[in-house]
Amino acid sequence: MADSVLVIGGGIAGIQAALNLADKGIHTYIVEKLPTIGGHMALLDKTFPTNDCSICILAPKLAECSNHDLIDILAYSEVLSVEGKEGAFKVKIKRKARYIDEEKCTGCEDCARSCPIKVSNEYNLGLNMRKAIYIPFPQSVPRIATIDASVCMHFTKGKCGVCKIKCGAGAVDYDQEDEIVELEVGSIIAASGFEVFDPKEMTEYGYGVYKDVVTSMEFERILCASGPTAGRITRPSDGKTPDRIVFVQCVGSRDPKHGRPYCSSVCCMHATKEAMLVREHDEHVETCILYTDLRAAGKGFFEYAERGKKDYGIKYIRAKPGRIVRDESSGELEVWYEDTATLKVSRMKAGMVVLATALVPSRSTAKLAETLGVELDEYGFFRSPDPLLRPVDTTRPGVFATGYCESPKDIPESVAQAGAAALRASRVVAGVTA
Amino acid sequence: MSEETPKSPPRIGVFVCHCGKNIGGVVDVPSVAKFAEGLPNVVFSTDNLYTCAEDGLTCIKDAVVKHNLNRVVVASCTPRTHAPLFMSAIEEAGLNQYLFEFVNIRDQCSWVHMKEPEKATKKAMILVEMGVRKASLLEALEEKEIAVEPSALVIGGGVAGMVAALGIADHGFQVHIVEREERLGGLIGNIEKVYPVKRAASSVISDLERAVRASPMIEVHTSSTVKDAKGYVGNYDVEIQNGGASTFHRIGAIIVATGATEFKPEGMYSYGEDGRILTQLELERQMREGKVDGVKSVAMIQCVAARGEKFTYCSKMCCSVAIKNAIELKTKQPAIDVSILYNDIQMPGEALEKVYTDAREMGIKFLRFPLKARPQVVADGGLAVRFFNESLGADDELRPDLVVLSAPLVPREGAKELSRMLKVPLGQDGFFFEAHVKLRPLDFATDGVYLCGTAHGPKGLQESISQAMGAASRALIPLSNGKVRGEAAVAFADEATCIGCGNCVKVCPYVAIDRVERNGRFVAVVNSALCKACGTCVPACPSGAMTQKSFTDSQLLEMVDAVSQEEA
Amino acid sequence: MKSEIESLLKETRAFMCLDCGKCTGACPLARQGGTYSPRMHIARMVYGYGSEVFADMDMWSCLTCGLCETNCPSNVKYTDFMSKVRVFSAGERRGGFCAHAGITHTLARMMANDGENQSRLGWVNDELKTAESGDVLYFVGCLPYFDNIFDYIKIEGTGIAKNSVELLNKLGVTPVVMKNEVCCGHDLLWSGDRDNFQKLVKKNVEAIAKTGARTIVTSCAECLRTLKVDYPQFAKFNFEVKHISEFVAEKLDGSSMKMSQFDGSITYQDPCRLGRHLKVYEPPREVLKKIPGVKLVEMRSNKDNSICCGTTHFLNCDRVSEGIRKERFSEALDTGAKTLVTACPKCQIHLKCSQSNRMQDEGVESLHITDFATMVNKHLVRN
Repeated sequence: MADSVLVIGGGIAGIQAALNLADKGIHTYIVEKLPTIGGHMALLDKTFPTNDCSICILAPKLAECSNHDLIDILAYSEVLSVEGKEGAFKVKIKRKARYIDEEKCTGCEDCARSCPIKVSNEYNLGLNMRKAIYIPFPQSVPRIATIDASVCMHFTKGKCGVCKIKCGAGAVDYDQEDEIVELEVGSIIAASGFEVFDPKEMTEYGYGVYKDVVTSMEFERILCASGPTAGRITRPSDGKTPDRIVFVQCVGSRDPKHGRPYCSSVCCMHATKEAMLVREHDEHVETCILYTDLRAAGKGFFEYAERGKKDYGIKYIRAKPGRIVRDESSGELEVWYEDTATLKVSRMKAGMVVLATALVPSRSTAKLAETLGVELDEYGFFRSPDPLLRPVDTTRPGVFATGYCESPKDIPESVAQAGAAALRASRVVAGVTA
Repeated sequence: MSEETPKSPPRIGVFVCHCGKNIGGVVDVPSVAKFAEGLPNVVFSTDNLYTCAEDGLTCIKDAVVKHNLNRVVVASCTPRTHAPLFMSAIEEAGLNQYLFEFVNIRDQCSWVHMKEPEKATKKAMILVEMGVRKASLLEALEEKEIAVEPSALVIGGGVAGMVAALGIADHGFQVHIVEREERLGGLIGNIEKVYPVKRAASSVISDLERAVRASPMIEVHTSSTVKDAKGYVGNYDVEIQNGGASTFHRIGAIIVATGATEFKPEGMYSYGEDGRILTQLELERQMREGKVDGVKSVAMIQCVAARGEKFTYCSKMCCSVAIKNAIELKTKQPAIDVSILYNDIQMPGEALEKVYTDAREMGIKFLRFPLKARPQVVADGGLAVRFFNESLGADDELRPDLVVLSAPLVPREGAKELSRMLKVPLGQDGFFFEAHVKLRPLDFATDGVYLCGTAHGPKGLQESISQAMGAASRALIPLSNGKVRGEAAVAFADEATCIGCGNCVKVCPYVAIDRVERNGRFVAVVNSALCKACGTCVPACPSGAMTQKSFTDSQLLEMVDAVSQEEA
Repeated sequence: MKSEIESLLKETRAFMCLDCGKCTGACPLARQGGTYSPRMHIARMVYGYGSEVFADMDMWSCLTCGLCETNCPSNVKYTDFMSKVRVFSAGERRGGFCAHAGITHTLARMMANDGENQSRLGWVNDELKTAESGDVLYFVGCLPYFDNIFDYIKIEGTGIAKNSVELLNKLGVTPVVMKNEVCCGHDLLWSGDRDNFQKLVKKNVEAIAKTGARTIVTSCAECLRTLKVDYPQFAKFNFEVKHISEFVAEKLDGSSMKMSQFDGSITYQDPCRLGRHLKVYEPPREVLKKIPGVKLVEMRSNKDNSICCGTTHFLNCDRVSEGIRKERFSEALDTGAKTLVTACPKCQIHLKCSQSNRMQDEGVESLHITDFATMVNKHLVRN
């Protein structure tokens, strides 16, 4: 009987499950496909309803995972295969080559500063560039550089090599290879999170056509002090501060025609939060949220939205815009909508439009489910054979799923459910039968 | 780690954090670090972009070793989230972790003085000086280890309580479930079906109860209450009362799963004036008893007393309950006319949205009203529901056979007493208030007590169950480890100066101080395992005998001195 | 009546309407500042105020362009809803006001009740190869009548038919052209006159069956939709129906036929019935782009976001319709194109009417409006 647990996914759900297990004395591996753990929560500016700085409340947990004697983080790694059964799984993990000696790297970023190659920065949702050798964000755990071999000149053209020269610690190793490790674990927890729905097919909204129409995740990065504009609210098209920002809810959610039929659960709240942050950054910028049903049902959420209305002056209009176009002469966006409370059809001018796009199971979830040999439901979330009494179980004994990849939920729900997954996983390892 | 306060003179290292733009965008961090260099006993001072990041922690550890520091001051964000991080960093570097002072120049400086960077920088310098002066007087402290009794108490025998108990019992620990009613099952004992899984509530309860009763580790006390729970994490003395008889138990961890109940909207919407105006639970009972079979039309009203009417909150579940009942009604009698008057439909989770669209497909109607002008119910021989139909922009009226009011869940009676007994807080809404809304929803600030289910706030059954399992997982941490570490910066009374007046005993929120007889006099003795280092007892002490480690008078006076010098 | 309305609501998914208002936010009528709201009509019907809907004159202004339906997240079938509601309303002897003194609807009704004595093939000349029986049938529609009614605005009328037949000939097809073809009935169907529509269906289906044709090709998007989608609901209908652009695109795919040079930029007006109703966006574009020298510049609102030409079934053509066309011309001029290609004679009629008759922005009168068949035929080189 193997006495370790494997957690797949280093977002808040995965991290919390791992900490619950490790604090209890159970050795846990966290496998994360990105070079750093933290998931999407690390990219948020603030979190509702407390408006805590997201990375500020998350970083201690990242550091706790890093420092914990009983947690091993395998970042920049993927699960290749899973064999065996509950209590005795053999898992093959591919540790992708960073081309950096992890023992030597100090995270000083001299390499990144000198690298000549710039590519689209996925951590800022493509709003700025990063280097071919990079550390995703300042609080990355582990804080070790990674070379993206698909764009690095050394690997693509056999040239450059500047990072190796500049690295004071001598950590760059172009000859490093992927490593396959085999782990023996008693149970597995999938916590592979979500990704953002791409709204460019919803041509009525102009995403991808008009630069100033952004997704909520992109806007989150714009708001964030560590993002592409260092927290200044500026339009991607001309760098000016918009006079008004319009938030459009349910873009791809509750929309079986264009996206997904389900509600993504968190968007009404994060739009409120983002609007509050806009008003905090600059009280001259007007904010308006266009919604269908305002979903603010969690603890303290309705009061938060009311604060948004009364104290922050956010306008809430029950409407879903039918058309967003850009007036070429003024550079402003025009949002056409029917206010379903006043029954007036209007055109609202906006400097920027933030689309609250649906959150969908990440593509890696589909692949992961196949590797794990478990079923997904019709929307791509992990399916439990008993969603009521066994909410975190999957169709394979010993394999559990928690967090957004199980079903849409917010951070407190993810943290609570991660505990449920830890409970189920630890049962296996503790040898509890039935 | 060293338990001895260094005998050599203080060698203080100061680390001032930019915290990205959080602090650095307002405060001139490099000049604060430079300023600190000149402070007494400071031998090293630097600034970091993110002191909490791995390189920041490494910087601290390296500096401790390299400059032989024996005190560390970090000026950054809030000790609430980051103190343990820095403290364990210096511990790793070989210093007692209490030779550390945290100066908050974010929440208490850059964040609140966002528009005055020069003044904020000046203030940050003063704050750092205060921290440095105090640091010179810091002593090494130790945390006591407390043994944890391998047993748990679950207060509440509803679904959440049973699930939590099973989670703990499964791992080999004794669990006592205390349930005030005669039967287990809690709130869902009153309902027929559980959605979206569409299971009979009674089968859910019986499945859980069977497992609970079959477990040799679980003892069930029905018709019982927790009369008292004295003690602290790992060491509770719990009195369970059943009728006249009491039993006493040693308990390691407590889970609050006391649930919630449906609010009865007396005096609102004509409730109580006519037997055809019901709450959702009352409707379910009548449906079960076949009393609704002849009804031709039903109007349900959402948000009754909630979302700013009598209660500020949204009760999360009322929309799904109403829609569930509407679907059940319409399934049984397809010709029945069901209208749901709503403001915003809440259907949390993936599966519930489908339930909503299913309801629409069945022809159940949804009519929207504004919160500022809620529907009126008039019993005028028949029933009239008058409301402003926002979709049509006009006043509208329904004349249903039955009006069902969706009222919110409210905390159960006895929550206040329990909160006092366990020393855990209630929120403004009356539900139990957790340690941190985002990242610690199932913990209390008080160690050893955990929370789950509707006692935490309104939620559906699926979420309650996830929370119950999560709470069990949290409770299993101290239980499995068999021990916890207590606070180090505890209060203590100097026996010689103490006059035994007992003021401190009265004011201590954690009942951590005892007035005992020693050598013929009464003196105060602080239980350092219970003491939460809140400091309330210190100013209550008239003789100055009470002091708190890491907040001693001399340390605090040094800090005051630093400020007053600046003023002068 | 109540159960019929209930069926209507269920079939059109009206109950699924979440009241979000996206339809109305997109609706070209609503955006012109009128009182039209698709959402409101659905809401009224669902909440039991159907009689108000039947009596609402605005209801007849609906272009049934389908923009609302395409946008609707809940898949409410608004165009179907409108069609069915108008049957109820017509039953109450109500209707919209029909432009041009109702002549187009009158002609359709005449053909429904007596279509035998038409003289409709005068446009067929000796250079065109047609037949009375065969595999492929070219459905002419009301082009011969439009020649007369709309000659003052210089539409291409039967010119479209001639170019279409010549185009088919060049592609090696000798189409059947019927002398007793009657109006497809589109306008009557959407006006709620099911009785006369049914008569037209019967006549056309019988006539087409007699020719032995298996594929029907038309250059009118309204005929296309009516034949393809509506006819099968009213009669046994086993024919394949294609728009001329789809037929041509298929034939030219992989072919070595040459096209002559055209220099300049063009823009393309998606007909509502070809585009949103039938989701045919690419074939006309593919073919037009095959013409060497053509630069196709899309209008700001194109493909599934395209804006209707402003009038449908000749009902309630008014100031609001003109407003819609003004906006459309503005988008067309913004592309810089000198030629606007239509793929439905109705689009051409309404746009040309506006262009020639009304006060317009500068540059509108110089925009050359031509039909797809005309343009492609002009440039396809005969083998």
